[in-house]
Amino acid sequence: MRIETKALQALLGGNRILKGIDLEAGERELIGVIGPNGSGKSTLLKCIYRVLKPAAGAVYLDGRPLDDYPYKESARNVAVVAQHNYYNFDFSVTDVVLMGRAPHKRALDRDTAEDFRIVRESLGRVGMSAFAERSFSTLSGGEQQRVILARALAQRTPCLILDEPTNHLDIQYQLQLMDLVRGLNRTVIAAVHDLNIAAMYCDWLYAMKDGVVVGQGSPKELLTPAFLRQVYEVDANVITDDKGYLHILFHPGAGETK
Amino acid sequence: MGRGKEGLFRGTPAWVAALILLGAALVLSLLGAVTIGSTEIPFRDVYRVIGYKLFRVGDWAYGSGNLYRAVWYLRLPRLLLAAGIGMALAVCGVVMQAIVKNPLADPYVLGISSGASLGATVAILLGVGAVFGENAVGIMAFIGAFTVSVLVVGLANVGGRANSVKLLLAGMAVSSVCGAFSNFIVYIAQDREGMQTVTYWMMGSMAGATWERDGAVLLVAVLGILFFWTQYRNLNLMLLGDESAITLGTDLHRWRQLYLLAAAAMVGFAVYAAGMIGFVGLIIPHVMRMLFGTDHKKLIPLCALAGGVFLVWADVACRVMIKGTELPIGILTAMIGAPCFIYLMARKKYGFGGGT
Repeated sequence: MRIETKALQALLGGNRILKGIDLEAGERELIGVIGPNGSGKSTLLKCIYRVLKPAAGAVYLDGRPLDDYPYKESARNVAVVAQHNYYNFDFSVTDVVLMGRAPHKRALDRDTAEDFRIVRESLGRVGMSAFAERSFSTLSGGEQQRVILARALAQRTPCLILDEPTNHLDIQYQLQLMDLVRGLNRTVIAAVHDLNIAAMYCDWLYAMKDGVVVGQGSPKELLTPAFLRQVYEVDANVITDDKGYLHILFHPGAGETK
Repeated sequence: MGRGKEGLFRGTPAWVAALILLGAALVLSLLGAVTIGSTEIPFRDVYRVIGYKLFRVGDWAYGSGNLYRAVWYLRLPRLLLAAGIGMALAVCGVVMQAIVKNPLADPYVLGISSGASLGATVAILLGVGAVFGENAVGIMAFIGAFTVSVLVVGLANVGGRANSVKLLLAGMAVSSVCGAFSNFIVYIAQDREGMQTVTYWMMGSMAGATWERDGAVLLVAVLGILFFWTQYRNLNLMLLGDESAITLGTDLHRWRQLYLLAAAAMVGFAVYAAGMIGFVGLIIPHVMRMLFGTDHKKLIPLCALAGGVFLVWADVACRVMIKGTELPIGILTAMIGAPCFIYLMARKKYGFGGGT
């Protein structure tokens, strides 16, 4: 499934946060959205996952405007792992993941054995099987993040939206999670904080600043020292190691003019 | 029990077993409680009356007389009323907690109580609603409760879609207005006897039970509970919040209002029949959550049955605790409920859902 945004604009509290974003995520592509804090990454994703109504422009799934989709149907096509999943009530991990089946249910449908099988399988994929009976609120931030990913997997959607999915995670789990996402072979749009993670996993990057796309390209094309200076106002070296991986090495003294 | 194991009896078979046990407990409670009362009636006679009435077996003499009236027109209706109201209040407590996403909510939180009190005050002190005859107070209370709920929903939608916080604030605002008017009426009416009636009514009592009222209350309670049981998935989603719910395919906005009005109707009927009974809608959901977790698929039926059992025995205690008089049930529910609650809270690590 393809996700596109065309001339997308969004307001938050009267401020124009998005000033016309054109983005395209092709079939089974892993698209990274990078940019400094406040650049509008999360806002863009919120428009795509329908929590925020665009002020102008639109989002399209396979060419059909998102507004034409009932919520149930969009949730069968796009699953979300957002930031901040704080719940004021104790749900068990199984309860939380089972909610991923909600978009597939009509009002009076019961939870079937198949649903529970999908829940177990999803928990297995994120390595959280042993936590199935635990209370969600007693898990660490990283464990919660993986459970929420399991919930998204249980939705069985062709597309996945990740808003800074590796926040709170140890490096081991950052790599594990991104490996997992990569291996899903679905259309993914991820806001990524860590440029090295973005460089390692994304097929294509969009760089945002002040609500506009200031550059796009493959990680190798886009992430040059000059570009990092322009977008993030930091000095960095970009090297390719002997295995062909891109590494961004930052220098101290951010914001000092040369 | 490992860290964070949620509830003693987690897992499906356990909650189904608990459901069956509680169902049996409710039936046994009704059968047991009917033999207890301020007047001594031999065990056997009580069942002879019921047996005669229901199945036309045994001596026809049990179909009339004082004995018959005490069992059939006093004890049974009020026990059934207590069961019905306990069920309704416990479930409405769960639902309200989900609607406002706050574990401290109770059935009366969104202004329903102050609306009901205003209705009752107006009826008792100003004689409004006299056309409803002897049911005037209850019916006016129902009207007050329901009107306030509609107002709260309307107010919460002013200037943008309602959410749980706006509902809560609207509830508080409307409550204050109703409270002020109630006090104003109490103050200007200068009617000592009337004031006493209002106070008594606010403490709740099952004494007004009749078969007709039971029928109405039980019907609304059972329909409401079945309705909410089918809505367990949306109730679960409510606790995740609007944003997560949308990504899981449900826009909660309309559901929240529908649930609020349905709960208001259930509570309204309870208030109409028995005045205000606090604490049931708060403690029962919390106890059940401690034991069985937050999933509403389990919580709704468990709370219904537990609430019914609890209020049946609370009513029995009210009748027999003090010889020759009857304690208002609202006082007793708070007196029994609060210490139980404190005990469970202290004994078990329970974060009120607010984490540990």
